[in-house]
Parts: sequence; structure tokens; C-alpha cells
Amino acid sequence: MPREEYQVPTAGAGASAGGMTRGATGGERHESRSVMTYICGDCGGNVTLSKDALVACPHCAGRVLYKERTKRMVQFEAR
Amino acid sequence: MAPSATSTEWDHQFHTLRRQDLFRNPPTDHSAYPALQLAVNPHIESFNAIFRGDGKRGLLAHGLADIGTKVFLDGNDRAGPEGKNRLQIRIKEVTLQKPQVPPSNKLALNREIFPAECRERHATYRGKLSATFEYSINGGDVIEFTRELGQVPIMIKSNRCHLENNSPALLVSRKEESEELGGYFIVNGNEKIIRLLQVNKRNFPMAINRPSFTNRGAGYTTYGIILRSVRPDETSQTNVLHYLKDGNVTFRFSWRKNEYLIPVIMILKALVETNDREIFEGLIGPMGSKSAQNTFLTDRVELLLRTYKAYRLYSKSETRAYLGQKFRVVLGVPETMSDYEVGTEFLRKIVCVHLGNVDVTEKQDLDKFHMVLFMIRKLYALAAGECAVDNPDAIQNQEILLGGFLYSQILKERLDEFLSVSVRTAIRDYLRRHPAVNFTSEEFRKEFPGGIFRKSNENIANGLEYFLSTGNLVSASGLDLQQTAGFTVVAEKLNFLRFISHFRMVHRGAFFAQLKTTAVRKLLPESWGFMCPVHTPDGSPCGLLNHMTHKCKIMTDYIDVSSIPALVAELGAVETSSASTDESVVVMLDGKILGWSTPKESLRIGDCLRYWKVEGSHNVPLQLEIGYVPPSNGGSYPGLYLTSTPSRMVRPVKYLPLQKEDFVGPYEQPYMSIAVVPQEIESGVSTHVEFDPTNMLSILANMTPFSDFNQSPRNMYQCQMGKQTMGTPGTAIRHRTDNKSYRIQTGQTPIVRAPLHNTYGFDNFPNGMNAVVAVISYTGYDMDDAMIINKSAHERGFGHGTVYKTKKITLKDDSRTRAAKSVAKMFGFAPHSYVSAAYQGMLDDDGLPHVGRMVKEDDVLCAWHTVTPDYNGNLVNLDGLTHYEKYKDSEIGFIEEVRLIGAESGSEPLQTISIKIRIPRSPVIGDKFSSRHGQKGVLSQKWPMVDMPFSETGIQPDVIINPHAFPSRMTIGMFVESLAGKAGALHGLAQDSTPFRFDEENTAADYFGHQLMKAGFNYHGNEPMYSGITGEELGADIYIGVVYYQRLRHMVNDKYQVRTTGPVVPTTGQPIKGRKRGGGIRVGEMERDALLAHGTAFLLQDRLLNCSDYTRSWICRRCGSFLSVQPTVSQFAPGKKKAPSMVRCRNCAVRLDDSEGIDLTEIQGEIWEDGQGNCWVGGDQTTQVVVPGALKFLDVELAAMGVKLKYRIDRTDEPRKGPMKPLKQITAAA
Repeated sequence: MPREEYQVPTAGAGASAGGMTRGATGGERHESRSVMTYICGDCGGNVTLSKDALVACPHCAGRVLYKERTKRMVQFEAR
Repeated sequence: MAPSATSTEWDHQFHTLRRQDLFRNPPTDHSAYPALQLAVNPHIESFNAIFRGDGKRGLLAHGLADIGTKVFLDGNDRAGPEGKNRLQIRIKEVTLQKPQVPPSNKLALNREIFPAECRERHATYRGKLSATFEYSINGGDVIEFTRELGQVPIMIKSNRCHLENNSPALLVSRKEESEELGGYFIVNGNEKIIRLLQVNKRNFPMAINRPSFTNRGAGYTTYGIILRSVRPDETSQTNVLHYLKDGNVTFRFSWRKNEYLIPVIMILKALVETNDREIFEGLIGPMGSKSAQNTFLTDRVELLLRTYKAYRLYSKSETRAYLGQKFRVVLGVPETMSDYEVGTEFLRKIVCVHLGNVDVTEKQDLDKFHMVLFMIRKLYALAAGECAVDNPDAIQNQEILLGGFLYSQILKERLDEFLSVSVRTAIRDYLRRHPAVNFTSEEFRKEFPGGIFRKSNENIANGLEYFLSTGNLVSASGLDLQQTAGFTVVAEKLNFLRFISHFRMVHRGAFFAQLKTTAVRKLLPESWGFMCPVHTPDGSPCGLLNHMTHKCKIMTDYIDVSSIPALVAELGAVETSSASTDESVVVMLDGKILGWSTPKESLRIGDCLRYWKVEGSHNVPLQLEIGYVPPSNGGSYPGLYLTSTPSRMVRPVKYLPLQKEDFVGPYEQPYMSIAVVPQEIESGVSTHVEFDPTNMLSILANMTPFSDFNQSPRNMYQCQMGKQTMGTPGTAIRHRTDNKSYRIQTGQTPIVRAPLHNTYGFDNFPNGMNAVVAVISYTGYDMDDAMIINKSAHERGFGHGTVYKTKKITLKDDSRTRAAKSVAKMFGFAPHSYVSAAYQGMLDDDGLPHVGRMVKEDDVLCAWHTVTPDYNGNLVNLDGLTHYEKYKDSEIGFIEEVRLIGAESGSEPLQTISIKIRIPRSPVIGDKFSSRHGQKGVLSQKWPMVDMPFSETGIQPDVIINPHAFPSRMTIGMFVESLAGKAGALHGLAQDSTPFRFDEENTAADYFGHQLMKAGFNYHGNEPMYSGITGEELGADIYIGVVYYQRLRHMVNDKYQVRTTGPVVPTTGQPIKGRKRGGGIRVGEMERDALLAHGTAFLLQDRLLNCSDYTRSWICRRCGSFLSVQPTVSQFAPGKKKAPSMVRCRNCAVRLDDSEGIDLTEIQGEIWEDGQGNCWVGGDQTTQVVVPGALKFLDVELAAMGVKLKYRIDRTDEPRKGPMKPLKQITAAA
């Protein structure tokens, strides 16, 4: 796939509306955050946490959660 | 077919497929590298000894017996014990659980907490400590109850750890290294180990000559006998005998950091029912023996007995009662005890505790009596010059204090302190508050133990966590140690060599680090085979911080010696003895006198025992140390000293008569003849031979190839640099959260290595790269220990490394005092707050960074906001402000991992995150590299491949070093490695680089030279080379080969410091210190001297003034002061800033307002106004000068003390020299 055709996947949790529109306007009022998905460090399952939720995996009560790697394009020094 | 057991045999070959298989399929039976585990085992075994699982009593159980029963009385404190109720309490048992999730966490299915989780959560790996108490009131029914004493840190892989005996496969599934070693603790996510300490050999009376002994009082001499007596629970009590000028002897001990002195005869008479004759004969020998003619001895013993007469204490009970009366308060015994009982308690707790510590029998008291007699004998022999002093700095008279033993000592003392201080005060406070209540009343029964124990500080475990995290020992007794700090160190996993070295490290003690004399640092021949002579740092800890040899073991348990006393008696040891060592010498087992024999017989006993112990017959254990000290003329005090105790070092050597493995200890070794190599064996003299001469080296020193070819300091440097190498810390890097971690991307296995490299599994942790090295002075960029690397090698990844930094961000208050129950801050953007687009782009919706994102300086790492609970208990943000944490490093990094850390209870919202940032560090000019021979160098250029010289086979070097690096350093080992590496690379062989394998007949150069010849290369390793620039052949053949290169962690990016202007200290105006804050580098006196000597005045001025505290300042020429000048204030000036300010001297000016008489018309000069609106005239002789800011600061400081400085600005201000010239001459000349 050519680079230009690359689309930022709208995956992640909730496909937040703010997504890619932000950036150019130079600041905005922040709306309350949506539900995010993490990976449990113990069982490896997906964990969805809302704001203010307790940090624990619902499957195994794992106490360490990892953030997923971003789906946004991260490419540096492509030479 | 059942899978065969994992092989643990290794040679020096590559074993590529075998390692690949081990790596992909971790063994399910046992590790393939058992040697690694053996290196760490002393730590683990010593911890296991605290709570044992094998049926024997643990150390703490012994300790509890020593603590014994405490008795508390009710009623008035001042009144005597009569008619009061007695509460007896003791600790029956202490148990330690494996780490578990607290019961408050209802969700967790898997209740175990594994070490990996503690590392990731920056938590402590700890288990619940609980104690069972037993009490009775007035000797009534015994009531048991159990209390929890907090959570104690637990050693990894100990018998209280979930990882004990885990197979590599299981370890990997538990997020550990497949070769996890254990032996350390995890405290707040850091890996801590308790250092091994060298202490005096236990239960052995050491003859000491120490000048400070004279400070004990009048008449004291420098002679003394020190006995470090160790109880079964591994706590120790030092007993010292002092020799006085008149021949008297006093017994000294220290109890709770206070010293006490007692006449030694009092101890003797208290121990057993005895009389003066028995003591006299016990010291000198029976009537008619040779020593009875020794008037030196008889005179002194007579005086000893005579001076004691003054006490008028004759019987054992009288003496004990006297001692008891004197030491009642010191020992803190219950009031109900009689003086006699206190005296007995005193002997139990303090005198020769190794011979009887709990429920001391009469037999044991007799043993103590004999021991004290023996000590007096040795002391008189020392004073008479018949025996030499024992060197307390020699390893011969030392043993190792193991971490687990120290841990148990602290635990025991805490428990003792808890019962005898905390509980006691809690009961007393309770009784004071309720004077009507006594122990038998109903109210007390309700309150005890629950209420009273709650009042006393029950969290004993907290102290242990503090000990591990700080290394500070808080102790009332001092634990018979010479230091109170520095007991623990962080086990840095910079690379695996460094990590493993921590466990083999032995420290002499912080006390000796401050000592001015260097005697303690000396490398003594006694250390042979136990301490590595090479592996010690240079600089301040040199010789104090040693490392054990790789074959040295530390005993961690008593061995069965129950058959020894009978055997010794059978072999002819008798009970009677004489003070003359020609007639009888002692046979002693662990500080207990078994009997006496003639010197000749003692040799025979020793030889028999040794034969039997190696043979394994007669129930003599293999690890028994048989220290036969032969009689000599003024040498060490002779005798046969058998030792079976833990904490000893032992090492394997071959016993020649049986050709079997024997273990020797440091005490016996100096009196033995152990051949280093079989050729050295002297018939009739040598009894042992080393298995391998490399057994004298530590693990790390063994990794230096051909170290016998190098000058010795170079091997020391390599041991230092091996530990600073950017290597591979392990394979479980994903589950580690070290603050800073280094990793090499392109690690290789060395071509040239010893078989031990494989035995210790170092291929799992590569530490460097094989590089083609040419020794040539090529471009000039390789001068002065610089090295050039091939730019293409660099592009292929030579030396490419990565630094991982972990940043823990917590929103909790760090204050430990207040249990912060309420949540005050939350991660994420505050709802409806203003967030700049740039910041929003950097973070995800949860306020945490995107994993994989590139971060630059001042990028935000996370967002948080404050919250308060509303009436529903929901947390809401009120201020609408979002706060940010920023990335402050100047280097570009990448977010590698973001961890959300939950609470152990699982009932907290997100409060802590941990962000791991990856910083790529490809080699840049200025980074440090080294070979394995102490040859370090700095990268000076990345030279383009086309311009590098090439050989006839077209090979170009990866690295160029300068030939001048060799002549003065004499690292021939590097040449040999180069040769061997080249031959190995050409033939596809791994080369064995074990030292001491070649000799004058079979030289290494010849061996590898022939291999090179076989491959069609020059025998000497030289090759004709061609200049890459001109293509011409170089005038000389170039020595080129393959050397293993390490990249050291010192990198310019962490070090460079440069500034022209920047932050300054406000008081002086000089640049601030510190690289982090953008400060300057001090141009010190020596640098100043160099600039002066070169006559570079402008450079000097630039450094010391212009780039430092250059200050333009106003000064008054008339009065010569900085302090009296002030700017004028114009009434009509438009703005404050724009007004062209004049500066006037207030001191020289005249104020107009208060001098009414002045006629305004006569005033000369301009009138000016100050800030208050006062008008002045004059004081206009001001000017601007440049001075150092520090000078003005000095002026102000001096003025504050009433000292005025006056500056002369002009030549004309100079004071006149010589007498005043007459006016006439001047006018005449004019």
C-alpha cells in the first residue's frame, strides 16, 4: 500500500470522535474521555476501563495493566 | 521415550544448536547451568536457615529460646516484687508466609504474588510474619494467641518464595529469566542484596596486639585475646581478655553498646565450684610438669589469684550472686529473680556463649571454664612472647557474615525488643491509667493481649524493610558489628557479569574504609584460593571489596561432628595438660576443648582425621576443617583446631593419598602443602594438589582470556570494565522496570573464551562483539587511546546499544505518615478544561502517552487533574485545570511501555503509572570501548570503509587501535587473543583461552601461529596491508586479528558539558555547578596555574572574568566605594525604564534640606533627587568599572561586619610613596 493511502485505523476503544480533527485549531475544550482498552499483564486478556474505574483485570484480578501500542502511524527518520 | 535429563556438562565450544534448543524450550527438569546457582546459593541457604523446612530448628527458633520468657509485674513500680501478680510471656513460634494477595482483595483467583509483579509494580516482595505468644498469670494456665507482625521482605528463590526449585520452563512462565538465581530481595521494585561481610573467625581465641587496648584504663597493655563467640542462632558475643602490666587479666565484654570489665578469676569461680589450686594447675599444669618451672607464668598466676582475694568471694554461689547483683540492671532481668539466678543468667548470656546458651548444664559450664583457662594461657604465652599475634586482617582468622544470618539476627533483636520494651511499656501505661486493675482482674483479661498489643508497635516487619531499602542497622545492641550503615546494595543488572559479581562480593566492613593504614587492604597469601587476587576495584575500596573465587563455597549449616570427640579421645587426647606447648597442645572442636596431646600426637590425630574425612569413614564429615598448627619458635599458638561451623569458606582440592576431593578451609590452609600444578608435587611434603590453577580466580577474572599473559593491573582493570559494559541484562527485560537499563543490540559470543564461559551460561547474556582489529597508527585519529571504527561496521550495527529509562509517576502523596485513603488526583484530562492541540496530540484520551510515540524534550508524558468526592461519592473535578508531567531529558526517546499499576487490594482507581522510555544509543564519537584486557579507548572517528586499509584477502578492520597502547601496558594477552580469534574465525572454531595452559616449550604464539598457517595466513599474525586512500602497500606488515570488544556504559551523551552563558549563583554571579542544570566546569587553581604559566592572560581573563562573574558596576572615585552609589530619580522622567539614569555618590553628596544655611545660589553643580524625594548636590565623581561579582559580594559581607573597603580607581588616587616633596622644587621646575 503506498504511503499516501494509509488511513489511520479508527480502532481503539470507542472510536473517539475527536480523533484526527484536532491539531490545527490550536487548542480546544476537552470533552470527558471515553472507555479505553488495556492488556492485562497476568492473563493477557483485554481490559476495558472507564474513567475512575478500579485498576484490576475483570478476569483474573491482575494488578498490572499494559497500554496497547498505538494504532496511529509512528514512523521516524524514514530514510 | 522419556526425555533425557538436561545435560549440565559444558566445554568451550559454541554449542549453537544446543543453546538454541535450550533457549526455545527451557528445560522442565533443571537448569543447564548449575554452576550459576551454586555461586548464589550461600545467600539463599542462609536465608533458608531462618525458617527451615527440614525438621531441624531454624535460626529464629534458636533465637526465641535465647530470648526466653519475660516476666511482668503489676502494682506500684516502686514497690518490691512481693505480693504482686506475675505475667509470664514468651514467643512460642514465629512463622513467615509466602507472599500473598491480602484478604481484602476478593477478586483475585490466583492468590500468589510473584516477584515479577513486584518489580513491575515497584512494590516489595514480602510475606506475612506472625508470631504465636504464650502467657500465663501467676503460673496458671498457659494461654496461646497469635499476632500478625507485618510483612517481611522475602529473598527470591528462598524457601519462602514461590520460585523455589522452579524449573527454567516454569520460571519463564512466571516472567523470570530462565536462569533466575535469586538471592536478593525486591524492595520498592529495586533488587537489593545484603552484602557479605568479613568478620572474625568464630569460637576461636585470637591473640591480638592492639595499641588502643591501653586506653581501657591504667595498667592495661596492648595484649589481648579476642573470642567472638557465636550462639546457635548466629548472634555473636565478643569476649576479650586483657593483659595488665602487673600480670593481671580482666575479662571485657560489650553489652548494648556499653563495655564492662570483670576480673577473670571472678568468671572462673562463678562458672564452676573450684578453688585456687585447681585454677593454678589448670593454667600451669600438674605438679612436676615442665611449665611449673616457668617463673614468668607462676609469678603471674600467683598474682592473679592473690589480687582476687580482695573480693572475698570464695564459692560459686557467692560469686554468682555478686555478679548477679552487679549486672541485674544491665541485663534487665525480672525483679523476681534472685541474685544467684541473675548471675547464672549473666554467664548464660555473655560468657563463651557458643558452649552453652540455653539451659546451660554443668558440663557446659565446665567447658566454658576450660575455655577461659585456655584463653588465659594463650594470653600469657602472648605476653611472654612465646606465641605470635593472629592477624585479624588475614582471611585465616575470618569468616563470612551471610545476609540471611544477619537478617535473622535483626529479626530476633526486633522480637526481643518488642517483648521487653514495647509490650512492657504498653502494660505499664495501661496499669498507670487504671490503677485499680491488676493482672487477675476481669478488665485486664479483656484488654490483654488485644488492646495492649495494639498499643505497642506491632509492625516489626517495617524495620526489616527499612533495613533493606537503606542498609542502615537500627539496633540497641549493635549486633556485635562495627558498622551501622551500608549493609545492603542494589544489585544492578547493568549486565550479567556485574549482577553475578554482586553475589560473590565480600566486604571488609565500612569501618575499615576510613582507616588511614593500608594494612587491611593488603593482599595476603592466606587468601589464596578463597579471594580472587585480581578482582578488586582500584581506588578507595581497593582491597576492602573482594570477590570470592569461583570455586569457593560458604558453609551455611553445621555438619555432623558427633563422632569427633570419641575419635579424638581414642587417638590419645587426654584431659590433663601443661602450659608448655612442648608438652601438650590443645585439641579443640568449634571452640570446645576436647583434650590435650603432645605436639607429635596432635599431628597424627590431624592426619588420621583428614584421611578419614576424605575417605568418608568413621563418620568424619568431608567439610570438617582440621587446622593443625605445628609447634614453632614464637609462631602461632600451636594446637589442633577442628571447625564444623557455618559461615566458613571452603574450597575443593585433590587429596593426594586418596586422589579424591577434599575441602580445605582458610584456617588450615597456611599449614598445608598444596601443589598448584601436578608437576609441583613434592613427595612426602605435598598432601594436596589444586584441581586447576584457575580456581584461584573469581568468575569474572576467569572470563579474561589468556590473563596469564597480561600485566596484572590490566586484569584488574578488565574486571572493572567487564562490570561497566553495556551488555545484556537478561531476557526478561519486558518485565523489568529498572530506573536505567543498558542493552547492546548486536551482542555476539566471543570466539576466544574459557570453558567457564559456557559453564556459567554467559552466552545467554552477550557482552560485546568480535571485531577485526588492526594495530596500526593510521590517520592520527587513533592517538592517545583513541580508536577508529569502520563506518560500515558501525552501520552494520557494531556496538549499537539502547538505554531504557523507567519513570514512575504516582499521584499519591508520598508521605508515609498519613494513610492517604482519599483519592485527590486522577490521570486524564480534566473535563471541559482547556487543552492545547499540541498536548492533546501527544497523549491518548486517558491522559497517558501513546505507546511507540517519539518524545522530545518538554513533550508531555501524562496529564492529571485534581478531584474531590461529591455528595454521591463520585470524584469530580472542580477547577477545570489539567496538569502535565513533562519529559525533561534532552535526548529523543520512544515510549516503550506504559504500565497501569493497580493497588494490591484491587480497590483503587488509577494512581500510579510507570513509563518505560527507550533511548537509542548508536555509537557516537566520544563513546568508550574496551577489549577484555584493560585496554579502553574512546571512539574518535567513524572512518569511511573505502578509506580503511585492507589486507590481501580484502579484509578491512572494524577497529583500528594505536600500537602505542601496548609497550607500556604489556597486555600480551590481547595479542594472543587477536591471534587466537583470527585462527578461530578462519577455521570456525571456538578457542579455549583458559590461562596457564601454555608454557615456555609449548607457546601460545606457536599453537595459534600454526593454526593460522594452516589457513594460509602469516604465522605471526601480521599481514601486508594497503592504504585505503592511496592503494599503496603500507611500509610494514600490520598485526591484525579478531578481538572481542565491549562497549562501556560511559557515553558522551551522558557526560558532555558545555556552556558560554547560563544560570548563575545569585549571590556571586558565578556559574552554577552541575551538568544537569547547565552549569559550568570549574577552572581550578591548577588550571589557572597552567594558563598563567603559558602567559595566556586574555584566555585567563576570559575564563575567570568574562565567562564567569563579569559585572559592570558604578563606583565613587572620591570615596572609593561600591556601596554608597545610587541612581538618581528624576521627577520629570516619562517612565521608569526610559529615564537616562545618573548615578551619584550619596556619601560624597550634600543633602540640601537639612542644611538650611546653604545659599542655593552658591551651590556648584547639579541638584539631584533620590527615591524619597530628597534633594542632594555633589557626589558626581562616579564612574563605571568592571569587577568580578564575587568582589562586590565580599565588599557587602565585610561591610556587614563593619569593615570598609576603599578602592583606588585612578593613578592619582594612589598613596604617595616617600616623603612629601617641597613645593618650591615643583614650582621652580615649572
